[in-house]
Amino acid sequence: MNSNVSRKDFMTPSWLLIVLGLMIGGAIGLYEMFFGHLFAANNALVWTLPLVTYIFLALMSTGVSIVIAFGLLAQKNAILERTRALLVLAIGLLLGAFTALATELGSILNMIWILLSPNPLSPIWWMGALYSAELVLLIIKLVMDVMGRHGPLDRPLAWATLVVASAAAMMIGAVFGTVIGRADYAGMYTSLFTLPVALVAGFAVIILTQPQGRLTELMTPAYRMLAVLWIILLGLKLFYDAHSPVPALQGWVDFWTILPFVIIALFAGLAPRILAAFGLVATLWVAYNFVITGQLVSLGPNVGWFGEIQAYRPNLPELAILVLGIAVAAALIKLGNQYLVADERQPST
Amino acid sequence: MGYGMVIDQQLCVGCAACTIACKIENNTPVGINWCDKITRTTGKFPAVRYEYISTMCNHCENAPCVAGCPTQAMYKDTATGLTLHDTKKCIGCKACIVNCPYGVISFNWDTPHKSWASTDPLAEGCFSPAGMVEAAGGEGSPHGNPERGTTYPVVRPVGSVEKCTFCDHRLAEGLAPACVDACPSGARQFGDIDDPNSEVSRLVAKHGGKGLREELGTRPRVIYIRDYKPQRRFEPPRPAGEGQGA
Repeated sequence: MNSNVSRKDFMTPSWLLIVLGLMIGGAIGLYEMFFGHLFAANNALVWTLPLVTYIFLALMSTGVSIVIAFGLLAQKNAILERTRALLVLAIGLLLGAFTALATELGSILNMIWILLSPNPLSPIWWMGALYSAELVLLIIKLVMDVMGRHGPLDRPLAWATLVVASAAAMMIGAVFGTVIGRADYAGMYTSLFTLPVALVAGFAVIILTQPQGRLTELMTPAYRMLAVLWIILLGLKLFYDAHSPVPALQGWVDFWTILPFVIIALFAGLAPRILAAFGLVATLWVAYNFVITGQLVSLGPNVGWFGEIQAYRPNLPELAILVLGIAVAAALIKLGNQYLVADERQPST
Repeated sequence: MGYGMVIDQQLCVGCAACTIACKIENNTPVGINWCDKITRTTGKFPAVRYEYISTMCNHCENAPCVAGCPTQAMYKDTATGLTLHDTKKCIGCKACIVNCPYGVISFNWDTPHKSWASTDPLAEGCFSPAGMVEAAGGEGSPHGNPERGTTYPVVRPVGSVEKCTFCDHRLAEGLAPACVDACPSGARQFGDIDDPNSEVSRLVAKHGGKGLREELGTRPRVIYIRDYKPQRRFEPPRPAGEGQGA
């Protein structure tokens, strides 16, 4: 624990921005949870930008968790020497994701039923259980790292993190893939999409936030390769959509979804940080399209209420929740870095 | 046993009495109809066809809303085959709404019937309606139907979903759902669709019939028979008993 942190360390422009985000987003979030309805959601389009924020941050955290686990299992020193910083990053992102999700739930006080009356058939239940398990595993690893306890438990914990994180990311896809009645959702392919999204976002956030060095040199080529893989997957989806029988629906992949990753694949080596930031925005755009498009076609009587196809644009309160999720993550990451990462151990190898 | 409903499209006149009866019986808030409609206009003038399809929860045997609910708040009642909802367990994740292919589950984004809870008297020195009910030891509001409260909250809480229960509180009293009793043309039949000798099963056997979006494998328990054809108006009337509710 770094005891040299002073009040001065909090008097910075970045902390000012974070506090502003926490205050504005927090006020909107609390109002939505307990007092009234501000989001642009309705009975036909129920999951909007706050849920996109959750998915975006949770998948990013998953990508970082997978990198941490891989680093230990493959004994990659470039990753091992930044393990604590990456753990802080993964935990911060996941708690930011949970904060955004809390504003989406109608009754967080009833969350007790997730434990007392679980439904193992429900992908959402598995998603909650797996992400909770991932958070616990990450916290255990961080505590062990801070206390300097390394030993025989490290590898089992790394394997557990790898399996749980991968399954959690794929379960987010299953939440949408197992929906049978919505245009553009049905199909187990969605689980195959969310895992690469997690890796792309995770790699990008590591390149963006970690000091330039061996870790970023290791991640940048991998980031480019993932971008290529992602282009292939998106291309397949685009090809499939071109033959879709659903009228007036283009699907969630189009030219503008793919283009950023082409740019990343071509130029990430030249300006890794800029293209990592670009990649995060592109991933948010992918998550946004993925979540929203399937709900745009109204079903049953909702056609009479909301029209056959809805036009959705996030409103200001929803944007405030995006800011809140990012601000919570940023605050926790900064706190972790200031108090825990300053005295990070060096790898023994 | 499994309750089901048959809607005869030849007899339905599209008057929406079912929708109004449901609204009154179940105290549904503004913007939420458990019993609603799908309208379709197809063809080109002069060969235009307009369809009015009354719709509600289909109480599917293979209900996607039940499979998707993380807390078992949405569940199948094994004794009756109804798809029911427990507001106490509902965390408001809205997975059921996304999973339902029929668009018939609604979310209480805001506190429903806010005015019902108002304790402001209409005139100075008088009781408010809510105050009167409270003083009499009652629940809800004089504007609402307290009988709804026997199996489901009189008014569902904010942050919770709600949907048609086939009026399970009326079924428990041996009555048909409110929409069935309110239908002026006897277009709705209700009963045990698992019993081949029930009226609903006989109608389905006689006329065929189809549920909505059956291709999805949800096995809906609301079956539509006989598309409307003007020529049928001159057919002999149905035998006595076929026009009655359950």
